Amino acid sequence: MARGPSTAVASDAPSSQIESLYTHHHGWLHGWLRRRLGNSCDAADLAHDAFVRLIQKPRRFDSAPEARAYLRAMANGMCVDLWRRRQIEQMWLEELAARPKAVAPSAEHQVIVIQALLEIDGMLRSMPVKAANAFVMAVACEMSDKEVAQELGVSTRMVRKYVAQAMLHCLMLEARSVAIELPIHVNSAAPVGTGSA
Amino acid sequence: MTSVQSAVEPTHQALEQAAEWFALLRSGEATPDERRRWQSWLERAQENRTAWGYVERISSQFQPVQSSPGRDAAAKGYCMANSRMARRRQMLFGLAALAGTGLSGLAAWRLTPLPGVVLAWAADHRSATGEVRQIELADGSVVWLGTGSAFDEDYSGGLRRLRLLAGEILIQTAADPARPFVVDTPQGRVRALGTRFTVRLDGDETLVAVYKGAVEARTAVTGSTRVIQTGEQTRFTDAALAATQSADPAREAWSRGILVTNNTPLADVASELQRYRGGVLRVAPEIANLPVIGSYPATDPDRALAMLEGVLPIRIQRTLPWWVSIQPRGGPVGSR
Repeated sequence: MARGPSTAVASDAPSSQIESLYTHHHGWLHGWLRRRLGNSCDAADLAHDAFVRLIQKPRRFDSAPEARAYLRAMANGMCVDLWRRRQIEQMWLEELAARPKAVAPSAEHQVIVIQALLEIDGMLRSMPVKAANAFVMAVACEMSDKEVAQELGVSTRMVRKYVAQAMLHCLMLEARSVAIELPIHVNSAAPVGTGSA
Repeated sequence: MTSVQSAVEPTHQALEQAAEWFALLRSGEATPDERRRWQSWLERAQENRTAWGYVERISSQFQPVQSSPGRDAAAKGYCMANSRMARRRQMLFGLAALAGTGLSGLAAWRLTPLPGVVLAWAADHRSATGEVRQIELADGSVVWLGTGSAFDEDYSGGLRRLRLLAGEILIQTAADPARPFVVDTPQGRVRALGTRFTVRLDGDETLVAVYKGAVEARTAVTGSTRVIQTGEQTRFTDAALAATQSADPAREAWSRGILVTNNTPLADVASELQRYRGGVLRVAPEIANLPVIGSYPATDPDRALAMLEGVLPIRIQRTLPWWVSIQPRGGPVGSR
């Protein structure tokens, strides 16, 4: 990375833009997050993360309100993420605590499992809750349709439908992210000569 | 308009099939014959193998949990957290609805809940996404299966009984005073009184519309009943029947593959077309209420979309052939 252009920089250099955004909005964002989360440390972490994201993916804003609207939307998403993460962690730890000590995985291993659960949650988040739960039980615990059906109080036919729905949902996200990474090839400029006589 | 399908990019249908195969194979109930059929499905096309590659990639994300000694706790913890978060989300939605904020817009941008999947391998009759089929039953009654629909047929005993498993059916019953004709759904029973009517599963509701004769609807849990006459329709859950409304005679046109609209909001037209297309079809909130008039070929949804683009100020944007957003036509009016 280039040495910090501390003085006399062109006003639209990205780093100076970030600097200016940081000076003008960091305090406000931290305050907004603190009110939302009721916790200054979490708020500081998230405010920091928000600016890290802006550095990684720089954006231009035409006005201060526009910048704040964007930061607020981003911070809002991060609060939800944080909240989901805490919920999932906490519930898991409670479940672990309720079981015999012998099954407890190491702290390091716990981090890996939490990470995997959060990624799974990222994929399934917009699914109906029963379908998502059925999918996780079935796949993560390798339970049969019958076992999942018993757990959820639905028919085995429903379990199979949930599993397929959830898998299709993940497949669509996967296909879409593959398509977005690749150059656009649908409706490309090349005309398609389909027998236009 | 023709869109080019590259060889490796799976169609939505391939993804649907991959998801169905996955659900069957992992259930532990696949027969050797079914496994052979999966094998030949895989060998049949590159796009199927690509789709299956995605299935494997997604399954592998579960690997750290699967191999953990605390996996049951992890899954249970996730499910509890997920249910709790969903309840909270629901409460917030409820509040937003009370406050009258633009919820429909929100809903329109939510990831679509995949109506296309029909997982009724064991069903006696089923139709694929985008297909409308006509079936004659043993007693001479005729059933049209709408897109992605399935039902079981049970004529044993003194009853002609259909069980609707997915989608929508139109029924033209043959007279047989000795054997009543009924359609069962998870929400209740519809008894035909000499008639032509449709039954449709809509989430946790059943919609019945009567075009000729009458039917009696009975809810599964509470047993409330009501007779629905020609030209009427109603929705019911397993506990309650909604008020009877007049049935749009044009709705029946789906049995001929036609979607008839009459000042129908664009979002509703899109969600109907999506039932025929599969995949994702989103409508930008600012145009969700554009009124649509006219008849469109439901069984050729891409042509229907092109027709809509011709008459409305909208633009069809394709991220993938099956991932489509309907946007307002860009730029200020008249700019080119």
